[in-house]
Amino acid sequence: MLEPIARAVQKNTAFRALCRPFANTWVNLSGYRRLGLRYDDLLREEMPIIQEAIARLNRDETDARVYRQKRAFQLSLSHQELPRSAWTKPEDDYKYLQPLIEDVRLEQAERDAFNSMTVVRK
Amino acid sequence: MICRARMFKAKSLAKLAPLTRAYASLAPVATTANGIKIAALDTESPLASLSLVINAGSRFETADTAGSAHYLKAFGFRNTQTRTGFRTVREAELNGATLTAEATRENITYTIRCFKDAVPYFVDVLADIATATKFTEHEFREINKLVEFESLRARSDPVTRVIEGVHQAAFRSGLGNSLFALPSAVATGDAVRQYAQNALSGRIAIVGTGVSAQALSELVGQSQFSVLSSQPLPTPQAKFTGGTQQIYEAASPLSYYALAFAAEPQAASVLAHLLGAQKRMKWSTGASPLAKLAATEGFNVEAFSYAYSDAGLVGVLVSAPTGQIKDAVEKVAKSIQSHVAKPGNEAAERAVAAAKVDIAGELATLRGTQTMLTQAALGQKNVVTLESVDQAAEKLSEAASKTFQSKPVAASVGLSQTTPYVDTLGF
Repeated sequence: MLEPIARAVQKNTAFRALCRPFANTWVNLSGYRRLGLRYDDLLREEMPIIQEAIARLNRDETDARVYRQKRAFQLSLSHQELPRSAWTKPEDDYKYLQPLIEDVRLEQAERDAFNSMTVVRK
Repeated sequence: MICRARMFKAKSLAKLAPLTRAYASLAPVATTANGIKIAALDTESPLASLSLVINAGSRFETADTAGSAHYLKAFGFRNTQTRTGFRTVREAELNGATLTAEATRENITYTIRCFKDAVPYFVDVLADIATATKFTEHEFREINKLVEFESLRARSDPVTRVIEGVHQAAFRSGLGNSLFALPSAVATGDAVRQYAQNALSGRIAIVGTGVSAQALSELVGQSQFSVLSSQPLPTPQAKFTGGTQQIYEAASPLSYYALAFAAEPQAASVLAHLLGAQKRMKWSTGASPLAKLAATEGFNVEAFSYAYSDAGLVGVLVSAPTGQIKDAVEKVAKSIQSHVAKPGNEAAERAVAAAKVDIAGELATLRGTQTMLTQAALGQKNVVTLESVDQAAEKLSEAASKTFQSKPVAASVGLSQTTPYVDTLGF
């Protein structure tokens, strides 16, 4: 119910233009970049769809992801932050997992559609 | 309409004549502007078949790409940019179609069998495979398991092993490359994509049955196939090297020995019938000296022949209890030298008749028709028809003495102490 509204709002160019000046500040305030994480590291990985997407990452990306998470856990445990120079740079904070999640989502939707279709013979 | 007409070389389409089921006459081959060869044979049956033939079999592998052909076969009907593998399979199932992928030493072939009215849809599916397969990593990992299993099964089968062995001994690289990938020979989907890309520019053919060449050409012209470029790479020439042997040690109660000679591609099947080891009559060995020898001595001998675009192999596969294999192979070699290398008129007649029956039978099947069309489309010299058998028959005794007195190659699975070496057989 809410998802279409959310998508419509996200795609609204006026809304996006309004938010853009604050976007970077907002992300910096959320703090994950100070632990060296990327946004896609924070997605709920216990969901089956994300599990599947993670399984499709290549070896280098998986290793880097595990390394970032371990480092972040350690920093969090010891109540520390990375030095400013080691924070995740905005250009490194790209969506490495979300395209894969989208692929898996579409595949599952397709599978559901095929499993519940009615065949019309012309 | 003008555009479409320009897609095809005028001369090839102009010559399209209505085809009767004449086995001997080859189907005309149309060529699209970007070098895709199209051959088709319309039939009475409500069924049609479509094949995408990529001229990228294992003979085109190099040291860097060893095993790629096997992986390319396994990547057939997987995810593409426009449809998922899941969708392809489900929609094929709804049409009752069958999808198969096959790898030979020369070609990778993806074949679809369906009703005639589904042909336009499946041309699109094949165009997708050729132009937009994704070769993703997670699919590669899945495919890897399948490929490893197929390779393991092939290496565990002594007959497959000796046949691979004679190819390796005879041709070394090129046609000698294995059909089966070694474990982890190819590391990524991207490597397979690179390998496919080379062949997809100018070395592919579309072969159809149950659809006219004209109709198929138009469908292909309208499809995504038109985005492929055309820079065909040359095929490395095959070269036969006689006198070598592949030895595979195996402590099994049964040993296998394949002995193969170089032959002209078009004469290979007739020469195999001249060896005449196949039993064509129940309860009787017939007049063939090799079959008689095997029956009285208690071992098995089969003739085989392989016809490739520029080379052929003909030979025998002997299997016998390990203690008996040396004796069996030596007797078979003697018999080939004394009888088969100098065939009498009657033996030659028998071989030609048997070859003709087999070829006519083969061409009456879907598979045989597809093979013939493929070879015609790719312009290969190994098209075997009833006419080519007649031509081979005229010079049969010459060909026999030339072939069966040359230096053969061999491959054996058994104990090397008991299997004879090829240079001791007196050729």
